[in-house]
Amino acid sequence: MHLGYSIDRRLRISGILVILGLLIEAVCLMWSRPIAFVVLVVFGGALIGIGVLFFLYSLISAVPHHTDPSGASSDKK
Amino acid sequence: MPTIATVVLVVFSAALAGVVVVRPAVTVSRAGKTLAFGVLFFLPLFSLAVGLQNEMTRSESTAFCLSCHIMEPYGKSLHIDDPSYIPAAHFQNHRVPAEQACYTCHTNYAMFGTIKAKLGGLRHLYVYYLGKPPLPENIKLYQPFSNQVCLHCHLGARSFEEGVVHNADPATLPAIKANKLSCISSGCHEVVHNVGHWGSNVKFWYGKD
Repeated sequence: MHLGYSIDRRLRISGILVILGLLIEAVCLMWSRPIAFVVLVVFGGALIGIGVLFFLYSLISAVPHHTDPSGASSDKK
Repeated sequence: MPTIATVVLVVFSAALAGVVVVRPAVTVSRAGKTLAFGVLFFLPLFSLAVGLQNEMTRSESTAFCLSCHIMEPYGKSLHIDDPSYIPAAHFQNHRVPAEQACYTCHTNYAMFGTIKAKLGGLRHLYVYYLGKPPLPENIKLYQPFSNQVCLHCHLGARSFEEGVVHNADPATLPAIKANKLSCISSGCHEVVHNVGHWGSNVKFWYGKD
């Protein structure tokens, strides 16, 4: 499977997933109820896990950056 | 790690990840790639591990167990002003850590005791939220209470080893140690939480401020 996104977009997607997972984790840590543990694992852990895996996928499937002599990136969007 | 420190770590990780989301171009440089690896791989997993550890530790607290309404009478039973109530006597006299009273007595001290206790807790959650929870007075243990939990502290203690009743019959002490005669057998330390059977004259002790 190859998702036709640029590396920047993949990083954004994985970052958003990770942020959502971390925010759920932060809420669960402040929420002192037994269900918080389940929410942390099922939703927070899953989002963080998917975000991290998507980040790794974006690395192995990335098209290398080509830099011109001026140093500017010409990454295909 | 205290909860507030864990929350700070988690929010900090999220904020750093936000930098990559807002400005993914920073990952073009070598330093940016290192930052991306840190905030999208290492920090999230580290934060998750610390958060899970924090939740595991919190799940051992008395307040955590008693946060379900169904457990409220059991929490109240810890304050009964009657030393024949074994949990109350242990809780009020700090024979068990007051902050981990439930966990201390309801965890098997064998190698996988903690894991079994956590899985049991998940089962409680399932029944509480998705099943049909019983009335508090109808709650039963999954397995008979093991003497090993009591003996974890009392084994070798003079009051246990030389107790008059324990030594009245030479077969009693070995039977207790072999878990063949339950500590909470009828006629022994049989008064435990007894939720639903307190009577109207029961008194409570909530300590001195």
